[in-house]
Amino acid sequence: MTLAHLLCRAEDIDEGDAKGFGPIEGYRRKIVILRRNGQLHAWLDSCPHYAGGTPMAWKTDAYLNGEKTHIACHSHGALFDMETGECVLGPCLGQKLTRIALTLSDEGEIFVAAAQEEN
Amino acid sequence: MNIVGPDYLVFGVDDVAASSEYLTAFGLTPVGVTEKGGLFESLDGTGIIIRHKSDPSLPPPLPTSNMLRQQVYGVRAKEDLDAIEAELSKDRRVTRLADGSIEAKDDLGFELKFQITIRRELDMPAEKINAPGAPAQRKPNEIGVWEEMPALPRVLSHVVLFVPDSEVATKFYCERLGFVITDIFTGAGPFLRPKANDDHHTLFFIRTPEYMQGCEHLAFHMGGPTELMVAGTRFAKKGYQSFWGPGRHKFGSNWFWYFNSPLGCHFEYDADMDKHDDEWVAREAPLGPETSQIVLFERRDKWAPSGGPPPGAKP
Repeated sequence: MTLAHLLCRAEDIDEGDAKGFGPIEGYRRKIVILRRNGQLHAWLDSCPHYAGGTPMAWKTDAYLNGEKTHIACHSHGALFDMETGECVLGPCLGQKLTRIALTLSDEGEIFVAAAQEEN
Repeated sequence: MNIVGPDYLVFGVDDVAASSEYLTAFGLTPVGVTEKGGLFESLDGTGIIIRHKSDPSLPPPLPTSNMLRQQVYGVRAKEDLDAIEAELSKDRRVTRLADGSIEAKDDLGFELKFQITIRRELDMPAEKINAPGAPAQRKPNEIGVWEEMPALPRVLSHVVLFVPDSEVATKFYCERLGFVITDIFTGAGPFLRPKANDDHHTLFFIRTPEYMQGCEHLAFHMGGPTELMVAGTRFAKKGYQSFWGPGRHKFGSNWFWYFNSPLGCHFEYDADMDKHDDEWVAREAPLGPETSQIVLFERRDKWAPSGGPPPGAKP
């Protein structure tokens, strides 16, 4: 049986916003949920620049660059496409963030599956 | 060439308000800062200058996404500026500004400025410790820690640069500006100190691909390891993201704690760094986890064991 963790409600994430949740059991880092062009996307808070990944915010929930156009790793300034997770500028050019699958309930609650151990 | 060390590091940022908040929370004092940016200084006057990246008063950006725009070095006297101008003018353009400072580029394209140092001499005690077998450093009834104890950055300590060619960089700073190699991480690069500073390093290079060129981190000296951990704990509790530490490096012996920042590089609190003179013979070691640190810790929320039965146990 797969357990799921409730992270937040869809309405908690405004257009152009990003928020971090966790870390929850089974994930080694927080999960970043953002909304871009109306769609929700979730990424592991783990910059692929270094082996093992490093946390990207400079402060709680501060995951985006100044212009709010990209996810930014505030270690070395790498920029990632908010919708594809691809690094478009910086030290891990061409690498990708790890996408986390979300489940949205009929009531608008956002769940993530428990224990994706490889993440 | 009596170069003392970095007076200021100048950044062109994409969010002036966020960067201002960050620098203030880190423990630096804004001096005449407006919504356009300005100087955030440590206790001796050294610090970080920020402007929006589109501000035309900034030196030009690096070809990478790094936000570092200029390293401003302090020298002892006008004669040192004249000597640097004479040396660098041999093969590049050196601009003398109205205030007597000079600007030039290094061999990798980093913008440099040299000025008579603005560093104010500090007169403050180092962290004092008591140990059996040695005279007590704290008098009877003098306590070591208290909740509100001051823990503010004292001096801009060093800058670490990602460089595409550490040999070219080392040659420039040693042969043209008189820096000295104190230790070397094989495959990464050397630690350097300028002639007029006995700190283990004010500059360190890490060799990387060209598209990463820029500032990897900068550091401020604290009054001791306790101040470092107190400052870092307060910073982390406000929600700022720890990157590495606290711990203690091997080369330089300095305690460290690194944090992410909105300036696109890490900010480090450091404390208790080794001092060297020209008798020192540089050591060399491969860069890696074992050579990088003697100890490494990770912060956790405060916790304490308590007496009595476990919570929820039946009486």
